[in-house]
Amino acid sequence: MVFNSLHFVWFFVVVYCAYRVLPHRAQNWLLLGASYYFYAAWDWRFLGLLIASTLVDFSCARALSRTSAPGARRALLVLSLGFNLTLLGFFKYFNFFADSLHGVFGSLGWNPDFVTLRILLPVGISFYTFVTMSYVIDVYRREIPATRDLLDFAVFVAFFPHLVAGPILRASNLLSQIDAPRRITREQMRDGAWLIAWGYFQKVFVADNLAGLANSAFDAAAPQTGINILLGVYAFAFQIYGDFAGYSNIARGTSKLMGIELIENFRFPYLVRTPQAFWRNWHISLSTWLRDYLYIPLGGSRGSESQTRRNLFITMTLGGLWHGAAWTFVLWGIYHGLLLIGYRAAEQWDGFRRLVAGPHPMARLLSWAVMFHITCYGWLIFRARSMGQIRDLTASLIANLAPATVNVHGLLVPLLLYTTPLLVVHACEAWFDDGLVVPRLPVGVRYSIYAATCYLTLLFGNFGGAEFIYFQF
Amino acid sequence: MTTRRLLSFALIAAAQFGIFEAGLRTWGSSEAAPSFQGLFETDPAIGYRLKPRARTRFTTSEFTADIAINGAGLRDDEEIGPKGPQEKRIVLLGDSLVLSVQVPFGQTFGELLEQRLNGRPSAFRYRVINAGVQGYGPVEEQLFFRAITRIVEPDLVLPVVFVGNDAEEAVSSRHKLDETRRTSEIVADSFLTRVRRLIRRSMVLQILRLRFVAATERFSPSWAPPEPPLQSYAAQPAPRIADGLAIARQSIEDIARTASTAGAATAVVLMPARFQVDDGDYGRLKEVVSAAGGTLLRDAATERFDQALAPLGIPRLDVLPALRGALPGPDLFYQETVHLTPRGHAVVAEALDRFIEDHRLLPR
Repeated sequence: MVFNSLHFVWFFVVVYCAYRVLPHRAQNWLLLGASYYFYAAWDWRFLGLLIASTLVDFSCARALSRTSAPGARRALLVLSLGFNLTLLGFFKYFNFFADSLHGVFGSLGWNPDFVTLRILLPVGISFYTFVTMSYVIDVYRREIPATRDLLDFAVFVAFFPHLVAGPILRASNLLSQIDAPRRITREQMRDGAWLIAWGYFQKVFVADNLAGLANSAFDAAAPQTGINILLGVYAFAFQIYGDFAGYSNIARGTSKLMGIELIENFRFPYLVRTPQAFWRNWHISLSTWLRDYLYIPLGGSRGSESQTRRNLFITMTLGGLWHGAAWTFVLWGIYHGLLLIGYRAAEQWDGFRRLVAGPHPMARLLSWAVMFHITCYGWLIFRARSMGQIRDLTASLIANLAPATVNVHGLLVPLLLYTTPLLVVHACEAWFDDGLVVPRLPVGVRYSIYAATCYLTLLFGNFGGAEFIYFQF
Repeated sequence: MTTRRLLSFALIAAAQFGIFEAGLRTWGSSEAAPSFQGLFETDPAIGYRLKPRARTRFTTSEFTADIAINGAGLRDDEEIGPKGPQEKRIVLLGDSLVLSVQVPFGQTFGELLEQRLNGRPSAFRYRVINAGVQGYGPVEEQLFFRAITRIVEPDLVLPVVFVGNDAEEAVSSRHKLDETRRTSEIVADSFLTRVRRLIRRSMVLQILRLRFVAATERFSPSWAPPEPPLQSYAAQPAPRIADGLAIARQSIEDIARTASTAGAATAVVLMPARFQVDDGDYGRLKEVVSAAGGTLLRDAATERFDQALAPLGIPRLDVLPALRGALPGPDLFYQETVHLTPRGHAVVAEALDRFIEDHRLLPR
């Protein structure tokens, strides 16, 4: 079931009506049933994986809380991590590694008769395995106590707003909210309703309308000039932002309506001026997860500069691989790893620091524009169908920019039409440094934004029911 | 406080409604555009008809056409006027495929037929009158023809049956033939027509209506068993198709009777749907119907109309072979609007010319 379907609308209306009249414990049972139904609506056969992951990690955490012997604790941690990584590795990466190995052998002139399994990727597996792994690691580190309540834990793992595409939540944030009775405030209702409306706007008005423009650059039958590829890449940058931030906002909004607060997953990521700031503001729940459970355990920035660079490189490469089983994702991770490493090195230079972080408006504008284009080139790598396409598109961007060939009516005008309303609200939120500033603006202004959001979504939204991009991760 | 806020929101929403409406009227191009809907006016008996002396330019991504309606409410650059002593008139009845807003008037198959007829030596001057109206079915054509018979003074009447939906439309419009309808029913019908026309005059309301229809259609399988689309072509059509064919036959019989009273002959033209000509379109629709649990028979609707109208003893022209015979070549139908292109009109005009000649439907 996807948020942008009528199935979900009816589902949420029914669940929410029941939720508002039930006592706390019954609410949790309702959330569990609803979450499993939500997941099974996609494919009921994979519900078993979700339940198995829940039971294994609940049991490991309980056992961890009952023993203090380091060896036994380590064994339990390895058991839990091994189970989750095996699930992820088998369902998400088996075909990738098998095909890659086959390619390597083939290039050596040996074509072994592999048994190839065409495995269907269970939706959301990357998200819920990371959720359960972080829980067990936190219990192992004694940062949180293990819950005794299987129902609460099962709801924490399967809570439908974040189940299939995040945010990747921590037990310290969500489990306590599930455990305690919830009181829904007037502000939560108002903010939740706005987040849902804004999330749908980002998805059906921005992302789904820009998808066609992005496809014109990446799926075109005939070669495109560099300027039109650049516009297609811009379109994809806003498509993936609208798609993923839209999903996160709908997830946050529906949770707020139920009195549950989820963390902010995006914070004006295209207005930043450094690679570090980009990762502090883009898919925040994943980047903090990678920081806390991969980068810091590897040593973080505690060791020598070369060790820090190695840690950044490993973290970002694996972060890229997390997004999907393809070499283009790995390259995207490497690209961002190298950017972070390069930025750390450049930061040592005073002139560079002044340029990027200085107060001069032109310098700020220039550093923003450079960072935006660096990010967009990353999206070119991310969206490309193959390494060969990355090479071809890059060559066109460099050697065949040809500004005079810009497709004004087919690309430029629609791109501006679909991104301008988003950027206006985005700029307003950034100005006040508050992602939820709209519901707090003066009545006339906020009602104008509410009405415009509704009109734009209903009149010009693409209601084709396209799935969210991050479902495939 | 709450009332004041609601009022504020309503005012802001109304102001933005005006802005979006103005923007869409300026830059939007579709049949929902008020300029296009302004071509129509309410009619108490038929529901609606073309508005006398209305004019518009209709533009989509595929074509631009100027449309002019004359004083009799027919698409023509000239008034109908009294018939001259050596003039013979052919009246084309039908729906959007006859009205043909996709092409300039001079490129419609009616005008092309007129040119062909007048291009040969003859004692007569021929005039082809386009009496097609968007959305009409056999019942509306019957009622419309009764209303214009004396104005158009026909010598030959050609009802153009669109086999794709005329049976369905005949069923949904049959109540218009019920002369015993109570005044309250007529008023209610007229009111609903007015509401529909009000919605159609607003681009914003029209788009919202389409969103609502799309949403309810997605849910309809939940409360009603889904029916495969294109029932007129189904291997086992719904019973209403047989009813529609019977109503269509009665309507055409009535048209022929009215024409005969006016001293005119009648012949029927069977117009196919695009997928009957376009293989790619057919393959796609066949899959859609199959996925919905039905079986699509490509020419079933044409054959059903041909059989249903055979007892009337009226000459019938099926233009499908002529259209198929024109392949391969440039498109005969537009891709988005599925109506005839100028080339499609030329092929139909040629087929009609030959048909009239072969059956000696007009004196030479």
